[in-house]
Amino acid sequence: MDYRNQRTLYIDPKRCMGCRACETVCKLENDLPRGPRFTMVTEIETGEGLDEKLSFLPIPCQHCGDAPCVKACPTGALYKREDGIVLIEKSRCIGCHECLWACPFGVPQFGNDGRMQKCTMCYNRIDEGDQPACAKNCPAEAIICDTVENVSRIIRERYSKSANTMSGFMEEGK
Amino acid sequence: MAETYNPIPWRLHEDLDKYAVEKNVPVWIGGKKVIADRVVKTCCPHNCYDTCGERVYIKDEKVIKIEGEPTHPITKGHLCLKGFANVPKINSPERVKYPMLRVGERGEGKFKRISWNEAMDWMVDKIHELQEKYGRESIVEYAYSGNREHLAKAVAARLWNLMGASKLVGSFCLLSGVAGSVGTVGSQYTMDPHIWAEHADTIFLVGRNCSATNPHIFPFLYKAKERGAKLVVSDPYATGVAAKADLHLRPRPGTDGAMALGMIHWILKNNLEDKKFIEEKTVGIEELRELVEEWTPEYTEEVTTIPKEQIIKAAELFATTNTMFEIGYGQQRYSNGHQVQQALACLAAVCGSFGKESANYDGISGMAFPGVTGFAHNAAVAVPEGAEIPPARMVNIAAIAKAIHEAKEPPIKGVISYRGGLISQQPNVDYTIEAVKSLDMFVTIEQFMTDDTDYADLVLPACHYLEQYGVHPSYWHNYHQILVPVAQPPYECVPDIEIFCELGRRLGYEEYFPKDKTGLDYARDLVGDECDFDAIVSPNGPARHSEEWCPAVPYQTFDTPSGKFEFHSSVLEERGKKFPGHYDPLPRYYEPDESIAATPELAKKYPLNIISQHPSFRTHSQYYNLPWIQEIEGPAKVFMSKEDAQSRGIADGDKVRIFNDRGELENITAKVGIRLKQGVVEMSSGMWVKLGGSVNKLTKLIPAGPRDILAEDGILSDYNVLLDGNTGSYFNTLVEIEKM
Repeated sequence: MDYRNQRTLYIDPKRCMGCRACETVCKLENDLPRGPRFTMVTEIETGEGLDEKLSFLPIPCQHCGDAPCVKACPTGALYKREDGIVLIEKSRCIGCHECLWACPFGVPQFGNDGRMQKCTMCYNRIDEGDQPACAKNCPAEAIICDTVENVSRIIRERYSKSANTMSGFMEEGK
Repeated sequence: MAETYNPIPWRLHEDLDKYAVEKNVPVWIGGKKVIADRVVKTCCPHNCYDTCGERVYIKDEKVIKIEGEPTHPITKGHLCLKGFANVPKINSPERVKYPMLRVGERGEGKFKRISWNEAMDWMVDKIHELQEKYGRESIVEYAYSGNREHLAKAVAARLWNLMGASKLVGSFCLLSGVAGSVGTVGSQYTMDPHIWAEHADTIFLVGRNCSATNPHIFPFLYKAKERGAKLVVSDPYATGVAAKADLHLRPRPGTDGAMALGMIHWILKNNLEDKKFIEEKTVGIEELRELVEEWTPEYTEEVTTIPKEQIIKAAELFATTNTMFEIGYGQQRYSNGHQVQQALACLAAVCGSFGKESANYDGISGMAFPGVTGFAHNAAVAVPEGAEIPPARMVNIAAIAKAIHEAKEPPIKGVISYRGGLISQQPNVDYTIEAVKSLDMFVTIEQFMTDDTDYADLVLPACHYLEQYGVHPSYWHNYHQILVPVAQPPYECVPDIEIFCELGRRLGYEEYFPKDKTGLDYARDLVGDECDFDAIVSPNGPARHSEEWCPAVPYQTFDTPSGKFEFHSSVLEERGKKFPGHYDPLPRYYEPDESIAATPELAKKYPLNIISQHPSFRTHSQYYNLPWIQEIEGPAKVFMSKEDAQSRGIADGDKVRIFNDRGELENITAKVGIRLKQGVVEMSSGMWVKLGGSVNKLTKLIPAGPRDILAEDGILSDYNVLLDGNTGSYFNTLVEIEKM
């Protein structure tokens, strides 16, 4: 497929501030009990001394261009839609966890029925012209859902017009 | 056998369809389309800056989904993580479902189910018994901000007034900061964030952990930053918003006031002050000049531990660019909180940061206080017309445990508690529990079995905020939506105001609690007729408050006695002549009551200053019991620096014990990293005592000034909510940590 048209959930780490609203809006949208988590905010501490930095990054399914989970699935339950969204046909899942071994991000979740479930990019909402729940709700407006080409245009516009890259000023004073 | 729930004959039944924005609305749940019966607008009344507009979907009188209200100009259709958790919260099988009477010892948590009739009879008998035995003032409510809206407290106050019960006053959250601010500025206002986002050159955030407590500020911060504005954050803790700052100042806890004085020193020394503003709009600059003489950058660094280069850099930035002061509440949760806030207000004035679209001063909006501005006519509800209201003493909430321990003539023997966690939220848990045990009547109106209910005599099933009326103007922005019940209460739950009305009727005050008066009627009385009330009731709303109450660009003038900003506060000086305490007309710095500098001997034993953020996972103690939240938050944690961990042989993830002379916590997970500097540790507030993580096991009951309410045992006959202060000094707490 042409990856420029692949639909993606882009998270702007300069904007994410770790409020974790995406985690519960996702739980509600997907009607999930305790257990499966379709997105998780990771808190990352890097650097030493004056270079210390704290960042936040939600990690939902990356809907990879060349998705390792789809390749690893022995029953063909996992598949990639025309627009790039990776979905699972649950009735074909045998709960073998091969996808979890293959996924570099630890995305596949297993609920009480033992079958794999994960972020669907809220394809049902997308098909109606709406946004995924997490992108629509993000209070920091850090999550963008669009094609790879459009996301890169949106980010370019956002920061080419910006006077401040949102970090870097007064570095020596930090 | 399945439990059955009985109808409550004295409850008013209202058809809630009238509040529908839309009916038969399709909505996605778990990838399936469900048709909701109606969708209703309301707002979130938790104790939080944002007061979000909400859109709630109802099916079969159950809340099935919540979204942000997209037309709200500030919250813009976004909610925080707790907003969505209201769906499992309101539908939780663990809710208190019916009245329950204690059968075991206090603290055992053993109860038997009783009917509402029996519960009402029990309360009426007990109230009469206490009134006869000890006097009418032996009874007091305990109510705070669980549901922060003002209506239920006003209706309850109507009953307490008729009964002549003691009055609960004050706050343990922010009133010290308010006193310092009101003393210099006069009435309190805030400027809507979209204004400064367009105009400010610099934004200075103090003591405000926005990603947890004010997430909707971020689009405005980012807009300002993309325009080129600089963000400066002062916080001992590396918060989410500090991670976005151009400059993060990290004062030693409790020294933000010293930091401000050091900045003022540098600004005046270098002639950088706003001379026109100071000349035209302020009084007392010479006294301030004298006060800050000693606060050289070197001395300020010594006290605050902030490198002097950073102090100078920030001071110059604030003085030479248009700076928006967005002041939070963390910096004033120390025994010197009133002085800290006064110093910060003086810093803003020296920089001329008042009354401009690009440079203004936000602390808390006066709309936060019912009855203080023109908005909430508290007395219209609390003081029934024609009734004889006996005079009653006041009990300050910031020292309620002390009042229960010490009050005589009469002692406090009955507490009716709603919308507050007495045991988990007051400092010094063990002292509070002893106080509660000495009561003859402890009634809690609760949604869940909390730390408090375990010690209660009677537990009543409370409504979630989505099941009742409310009036909650934001204390940050200026848009308002009345809370309406979106769904009928489940089980035998009753809205708070209806409990107080029925109790009032049964105590013989039928004429003051007419049976057909709805919550909306009371809300209408409370708001008054200076605004178009119907414009803020679903399906309408939200609407902005009037310019008269909340000017778009506030602080063109100051309603202090001089009509100017007062570096030398005449009202604090006057008030201090009347009451014990620390009413200093100038923002003099003094150390927090317990700190490495104030109590060096104690610090040898307990060298670590523990502070507590209000994490995004909870509003105070609420939501802690929900599976979604527990799953995200994980076990109770204490954050500490690499240096402090290393010197104690603690590795990231180790279980530790935290202790001081007041209490101890065990099995807390150490998180070692860059969040804190050496000597400071952090543990979130609001975890429950019975679940092992309440930081208030360690904190001290020492309310911040200016008024010394401990000298009066928390019992007052005269109280000025805006000048007397009293914030729980949660953060001037020293502890030691060891590996388990």
